[in-house]
Amino acid sequence: MKRFLTLLLSALIVTGVFGEPGQKELWIKANNSYLQALYQEALDDYLMIEEMGYTSSKLCYNIGNTYFKLNNIPRSILYYERALKIDPSDADILNNLSLAKEYTLDRIEEVPDFIVKTWFRNLNYSISSDGWSYIAIFMAALTALLLLSFRFSSLSRTRKISFFAALVALLISAGSFGFAWTQRINSQKMNTAIVMRPVSTVRSSPDNSGNTLFILHEGTKLEILEKIGDWARIELSDGRQGWLSLPDIEII
Amino acid sequence: MIAYCYKKIVLLAGAIILSLGAYAQHTFKLDTPGVVASDESFRIVFTANGECSDFNPPDLSDFDVLAGPSTSTMSSTQIINGKRTETFQISYTYILQPKKTGKYTIGSATVEIAGRRYSSSPATIEVIKGEGSAASSSNQQIAGVSSEDIFMRMSVSKNRVVKGESLVVSLKIYTRVPIAGFENVKFPSFNGFWSQEIETPSNIEFVRETVNGKIYNAALLRRYMLLPQQTGTLTIDPSEMICQVQVRSQSSAPRSVFDDFFDNYQTVRKRVIAPAVQVTVNPLPSGAPASFSGGVGNFSLDARLTRDTIDANEAVSLIVSIKGSGNINLIEPPKLIFPPDFEVYDTKITDKSSKGGGGASGSKEFEYPLIPRGSGTFKLPPVEFSFYDINKKQYVSLSTGELKLRVGAGKDSQSGYASLPAGVSKQAVRSLGTDVRFIKTDSPGLNKSGKFLVSSPFFYIILGLILFLYLLIGRYISKKIERNRNVAFVKNRRANKVARARLKTAEALLRQNQYAPYYEELHRAILGYCSDKLNLLPSELTRENIAESLRSKAVKEELVNELLSMIEACEYARYAPDQGGGAMENNYEKAIKLISELEGQR
Repeated sequence: MKRFLTLLLSALIVTGVFGEPGQKELWIKANNSYLQALYQEALDDYLMIEEMGYTSSKLCYNIGNTYFKLNNIPRSILYYERALKIDPSDADILNNLSLAKEYTLDRIEEVPDFIVKTWFRNLNYSISSDGWSYIAIFMAALTALLLLSFRFSSLSRTRKISFFAALVALLISAGSFGFAWTQRINSQKMNTAIVMRPVSTVRSSPDNSGNTLFILHEGTKLEILEKIGDWARIELSDGRQGWLSLPDIEII
Repeated sequence: MIAYCYKKIVLLAGAIILSLGAYAQHTFKLDTPGVVASDESFRIVFTANGECSDFNPPDLSDFDVLAGPSTSTMSSTQIINGKRTETFQISYTYILQPKKTGKYTIGSATVEIAGRRYSSSPATIEVIKGEGSAASSSNQQIAGVSSEDIFMRMSVSKNRVVKGESLVVSLKIYTRVPIAGFENVKFPSFNGFWSQEIETPSNIEFVRETVNGKIYNAALLRRYMLLPQQTGTLTIDPSEMICQVQVRSQSSAPRSVFDDFFDNYQTVRKRVIAPAVQVTVNPLPSGAPASFSGGVGNFSLDARLTRDTIDANEAVSLIVSIKGSGNINLIEPPKLIFPPDFEVYDTKITDKSSKGGGGASGSKEFEYPLIPRGSGTFKLPPVEFSFYDINKKQYVSLSTGELKLRVGAGKDSQSGYASLPAGVSKQAVRSLGTDVRFIKTDSPGLNKSGKFLVSSPFFYIILGLILFLYLLIGRYISKKIERNRNVAFVKNRRANKVARARLKTAEALLRQNQYAPYYEELHRAILGYCSDKLNLLPSELTRENIAESLRSKAVKEELVNELLSMIEACEYARYAPDQGGGAMENNYEKAIKLISELEGQR
């Protein structure tokens, strides 16, 4: 049992917060550069961390800020959206994203979400996916213990309490598992994108000869429905659809 | 009545003339034509303002004096809107003829006016070679008017300027023929320039000038000040107009007597064009300071506050004045950043510049009205202004010092602002600017992108492990319980067995219903059991010893008591008669139970 615990602990540390020392130093260096308004240098360091294969909502948020300071609004929106994808309930990200969106040209009415859905999402994203996974594991272990207590206790009151507690723990475990899994699915969705070209033409068919339906400007968020070759069928949040060439957009 | 009035007016006028004469500005000047032909006679006139005497003419030996000096006087009195002006002029006129060509100076003449001597400034007369006779040339019948006789010329003060540097363009007409009038005057348009007319003579004055050795009557039509707004070679468009030129008609018809008396003039329309002029505008050099807003020239900067100590909610003005020469009328108000609590109103601009031949000069004042809403000592940031100095060919930045403004707490709302409700001075926190929130600097919480614990095998291994452990532990516990249950059973059975073995003889005696031997045997069996179990010698087998050693082995008190009473009952029954009624049977069962329980206690 003791050996198992040490194994678990070391596994947690390995998959946990700080892996290599390099990116931590880069992170501090980049933050200092940002503080001294050396935005280009800060950006280079942040992007180096990203290239090493790491990501986090805070990293994306800082990259978004740096792009904003460098006046690259569409990229800053892209990175704010990426940060939001990892943590959709962070107030700072939401604030800065709405500020960056002020600088975009296209105004598209977004339908607000159903309030219960928002609550649920906020509850879900109040803890990270991995956090929920740990809760699920802990609750599963608790359920097992309580079930043992239910099975082998001689006192009938203890048995009764253990049974209901086990039931609750099982439900929490299942719920946590569901939250963790939902976060994973959401983050692996590749169906939203940001327009990167200052002016891009949305056509009625996936080739350059198609009729021009409307024109989008940089920084506009859209949903990708399908892809054919170099073209993507996109939908705006107000429901209009069309074909846009893939190099014009960047997937969040 | 009328005569009386008239007399009065005359008297009054005389008094005025006398009184004004004493104060009148006296001048004495010489009028000459600038250019004359060598075969031409001309006039020079000395004019004195005021009653004068002792006229002392200059040396005129370079010329032949044909006539003069002839004196003429002129006096006039004007009363306009009650304002009286009186002039009294004496002029001395000479008619001269040049002896030969060249440049000659007429020296100064002196005159005494009202007891003071005045002298005229010397004048230069250029004598050029006459072309035959000017009079005869006009007598020759010229049907047309050549472009040499009349032309327009546009002259610029500088051909090469930098952007924003002022230049002056003069449009002049030169003519040798009489002009009756102008038609369809088209003045030039100045594309790429900011332009302003600085001289528009209402009546055209002709002055004699020589061009290419010929005498022309020249007149200034317009003078403009231009400020180039673009770089490159800019072209000032040609201007044109139609002149009505009077020429003597050449009629083939027989001349009547009257024709000789009255010259028969004919008006000819002549299109006159001033050719286009090109100006090269060089761009300003790079490296302009941040506060540069296009000023070119030479300026000085000054800033002051109308008051430097005021109360809150009172108005104060910051006055920035820029003095100098250059494109001063194009200078924009310097951008100032005031403390956020200040209310700033529209800037008032006062332009006190004048446009002369060398561009505009003067001063421009920018007044920034301010109302501080809070009290305290405020430092207004220095006013910065930069311009391009044409002479030094470099940018010059001017800056005033910091201005301090002390704002007192303001009067109480009760006294000074009684009309305002109490809550008015409260204000919401204003947002002065927007920016993104600051970056996050705490631990970044980096994860390998796309890695999720929930989808890793580790997660499921742990869940499986939990399930496995649960089953394992459950199995283990249930087995142990099972075994424990078995042990108790076996123990119980063995204890029973021991008890029965001990009481075997007693049971046989019970069957035979032998009363006394039965109890003897029962007593012996119980004591024997106790001696075996408690390791007591037969000599030590007293009831006290048994109880004590049982208690030391933590046997239950009731069990001990029961044992003692059992032993007592056996001892008693050995000597007592049979009581019957199954007492023997009962005691047997009791003994078995007692021994079993004692055995179970172990």
